[in-house]
Amino acid sequence: MMFKRILTLRTPNSLSFLTTSISSTSKVISRTLSEQIKQDIDIDIEKWDLLSAVCLERHPVITKSMPDIETRFHNMLQQMEFENSTISDFEMQKQNNKNRKTIQDFEDSWKEEFTNFKFAERISENEEDNAVMSLRRKLDKNLVLLVEQKIGDSNFWIPPQSIRKHRETMIQTAHRTVQELCGNNIKVKFYGNAPIGFYQYKYPKNLQERGQNGAKIFYFLAKYVSGDISPDIKHCWLDREELKKNLHPDLHKSLVKFLLPD
Amino acid sequence: MIGVLNLANAVFRASLISSSRNISTYIHPLYFRATEVLLGEPLKKKKRLDPAIVRAREERKRKKLQKRIRQLEKHANHMKPIFEIDTLPELLQNEKRTCHLSVPLSEKEIERRKSLEKEWCKYKHSQWTKDLHVIKSIIKSQEIALKELKAVSKQLYKKAVEFDDLYMPYSVTGPVYTPSIKNYDSPDGEYIETTVKYIGE
Repeated sequence: MMFKRILTLRTPNSLSFLTTSISSTSKVISRTLSEQIKQDIDIDIEKWDLLSAVCLERHPVITKSMPDIETRFHNMLQQMEFENSTISDFEMQKQNNKNRKTIQDFEDSWKEEFTNFKFAERISENEEDNAVMSLRRKLDKNLVLLVEQKIGDSNFWIPPQSIRKHRETMIQTAHRTVQELCGNNIKVKFYGNAPIGFYQYKYPKNLQERGQNGAKIFYFLAKYVSGDISPDIKHCWLDREELKKNLHPDLHKSLVKFLLPD
Repeated sequence: MIGVLNLANAVFRASLISSSRNISTYIHPLYFRATEVLLGEPLKKKKRLDPAIVRAREERKRKKLQKRIRQLEKHANHMKPIFEIDTLPELLQNEKRTCHLSVPLSEKEIERRKSLEKEWCKYKHSQWTKDLHVIKSIIKSQEIALKELKAVSKQLYKKAVEFDDLYMPYSVTGPVYTPSIKNYDSPDGEYIETTVKYIGE
């Protein structure tokens, strides 16, 4: 309104170029306004609830154990590399019998240092680490976060999701979902603003009569970076096989489309 | 003169904000008014230097530079040696260095390696086709999701596919063989500094 008044005030005594520029700006304004109206109408006609869900993955920390063929080929390549390499200065020194003993001593001490160093276990024996809620379980696998959420009357184990609020973009909803359902201690990184998966379902008849047909869920992929989920939230980190057992089969089908298999 | 100007100023302002709630005492020259805040400080007196001292200083500077130039010129013909190149002819002369493989491989071993390589090729090919399927399925899934989003709302779709340079410099540290040790304080390695400083460096 204010802007329009200014326009009407200015136009009578302004030059021709001014009027043209003003008319173009007003065109732009009217266009955006109409678009906004159209968008709202779109959603109203459809009568679908829009939801954003986050597939939060903890990527493998350690490498997978090599299958048989890989180990055999690896050994062969190492053997070939060793055969084709020339003798190093150190080995030449060792071959000269002069100070053979000191060199042997050196080698022994290095070996001892290596054997004495204790690497962390690849598979943790700590029971606490292997619990479903722990981030340190199954270090060589991709884990997906599921939380217990109430849908309708019953609870389901699903990737965290929430309904889009007015004026939010889908990715903003996804960010909010992580914050609300996993707490502020966790740091995640999204893989893009565009949804990567889609799933929709219809509400039961009695709910449909009240106005909404069903829910359209847009999935976003994110990776766990650091931090922890507060322990009072019911959650679990599952690998691909466990995911299949714990998810609704239809939902699992649409998730598997974009999750990397093991 | 200044008073008159102030008055003019005040009148001008009063006309601008005739209906405002501001109360101004700047209307009449005889009214009280606050002086402007002075944020200056008296200028410092410049120290005068003896011209002889200034000249001596410049002379010293010039001499220092000249000395440095002379030093550099003295070693102008000396190139900085490159060790890698120096050792190369030496290596070429020393052809008696042998490979680790002393005896040629047996027929059986060669055959084994060949078959293993074939097996490896098959394995890798199957892996590659699997990867292709996965990539295709992911792309398809995203296409469906975006199509659905577009059908729901054009604006949300536009926001979703907009370029966002928040994601662009992407870095990741890959999986390792053993997980990190908790609270491990890695020791600094010992080293002997062997870098040679050359003149003119």
